[in-house]
Amino acid sequence: MKLEEIAGRTFEFARERFPVAKLNAESMLTKKVVPVHRMSWAYYLGGLALFFFLVQVVTGLMLLFYYQPTVSDAHASVEYITQHVSGGALVRNLHAWSSSAMILTVIVHVLTTFAMKAFAKPREITWVTGVFLAMLVFGFGFTGYLLPWNQIAVNATKVGLQSIEAVGQYLPGEMATWPTFVRETIQGEAAVGQATLSRFYALHVILLPFLVAGLLGVHLFQVQIHGMSCGVDVERVGTEKFFPFFVIKDLSVWGVAFLVLFVLGLCLPFESFFAYPLMEPYDPLGSTPEGIKPEWYFFFVYYPLELLPYWAVMLGMTAGTLGLLLSPWILQNASRRTLRAIAIAAATYLVVITLFGQSIYEVLKGVSP
Amino acid sequence: MNRLAAAVWLSALLAVDARAAAHGVYQEFVRKSSGRPVDCAMCHTHSNGPEGTAAGQIGGLSSEELSRLGRARSAFEPGANVDSPILNDFGDLILQRVGKKRVLELRSAPGRLVEELGVASDLDADGLSDAREYLEGTHPLIASDGDPWSLFCHSVKREWFRLVMITAATLITLYGLSNLLRGFAVRVRAKESAEEGAGS
Repeated sequence: MKLEEIAGRTFEFARERFPVAKLNAESMLTKKVVPVHRMSWAYYLGGLALFFFLVQVVTGLMLLFYYQPTVSDAHASVEYITQHVSGGALVRNLHAWSSSAMILTVIVHVLTTFAMKAFAKPREITWVTGVFLAMLVFGFGFTGYLLPWNQIAVNATKVGLQSIEAVGQYLPGEMATWPTFVRETIQGEAAVGQATLSRFYALHVILLPFLVAGLLGVHLFQVQIHGMSCGVDVERVGTEKFFPFFVIKDLSVWGVAFLVLFVLGLCLPFESFFAYPLMEPYDPLGSTPEGIKPEWYFFFVYYPLELLPYWAVMLGMTAGTLGLLLSPWILQNASRRTLRAIAIAAATYLVVITLFGQSIYEVLKGVSP
Repeated sequence: MNRLAAAVWLSALLAVDARAAAHGVYQEFVRKSSGRPVDCAMCHTHSNGPEGTAAGQIGGLSSEELSRLGRARSAFEPGANVDSPILNDFGDLILQRVGKKRVLELRSAPGRLVEELGVASDLDADGLSDAREYLEGTHPLIASDGDPWSLFCHSVKREWFRLVMITAATLITLYGLSNLLRGFAVRVRAKESAEEGAGS
């Protein structure tokens, strides 16, 4: 292929994804329409994820005023926020609940978008940025988990970092040392300690938010410029105006989500789902307490790691991630029926492993509860 | 000075006997009855228990704390005012309500401590009695630790006014925003119609 041809194709690709003619308020707002069909509810999930992200930003900023990112003071500062700062328990609880809500919404958003084949041309960039955003959201979960510096936080982070290093045994030659290098770079020192906390803190409050802001900008711009994909195989579907009707409905969904989040934040401590010894300050000299697990949204990889050979899980995860990223090209000819079946299978796996992973583990390993 | 020496002597004597008198049997009972991991922090100041040299452990106590420990350890009968440096408020409450003698007796039937404590006391004011939290393996001094559903129901009853107010505020805001957006949309449509009219 000649250089000119490559340049021409690249230009054509960019022209179709960033149509200059549509860069106006009429196309993106006043004349924009949204398809109405049986899957229309899925159009609200992206906005809902954005809402939870905004709650994360606001509550996270509030927590920053008091949080101390040092191994000696991190736990005490979190205790101080919860017990002595006016509204501190509510803000912290809102942060914890909205993080889980955001991840749940993002997962459902990815699955429904996949099932609706919303990644098809010309929405490849929307899809790819969306998959990267989903990964960043998990990155937020992983880095934020360590910050309270309690038993479960530090021990679960240790397990997570060790699993990175374990990849090395399957790599040839010099490459076998790369995962160790990656782990040490993230960890910052020989063991999980102050350097790790500082790095996770920087990642959680600076680097990841910047990356999310950049990708989110491209993602939302693409959504606005290309509109919502039809999403179903029906020839004719009804439409409604994006402004004001869809926006009003979107805001109503945000309102309901806010209410549910507020009720949970005020009335149900997120920590009540953990045994209290796991919430005690991390003791480097003490023994590892029982019940160390990652957050629920990592169960889909945690339980397979406990039950299956490491290489099999890593292979599956790598294939899954690459498959998701490359869906617009790999699955461009797949029917929506096929995609829906794949999405339902993935959703079933996620629900079963998240809700019953522990029971499955106990049955298969013969461990009494 | 004599009293201090006697207290230190008594504490030392009891400390020698500490292993024999350790209350791990209660911890084991809670672990089995609740299925939750528990540690010494349920009743003690330090999560590793009273033995050691850290703050809240016998080896790290000042002379004043040692004398308090001696007084707490001599609270054999119920009703004494207990303020032990190695026990937290729940540990102190057990000694106040039950007495050291009975605590030692109940080691053979740790489940009966629930009845002896009664349901009136709720040190962390989370709506779950201390006795129930002991039985369920949740911490009687941590308000965020407890059966989630029970905590939720108690909090809804306690916070009903705030919940009503936030619901009203959200509904009013949504109503106002919706009307504002509809107003903008009508205005845009009117402008478009006027432009179309002028064009034709």
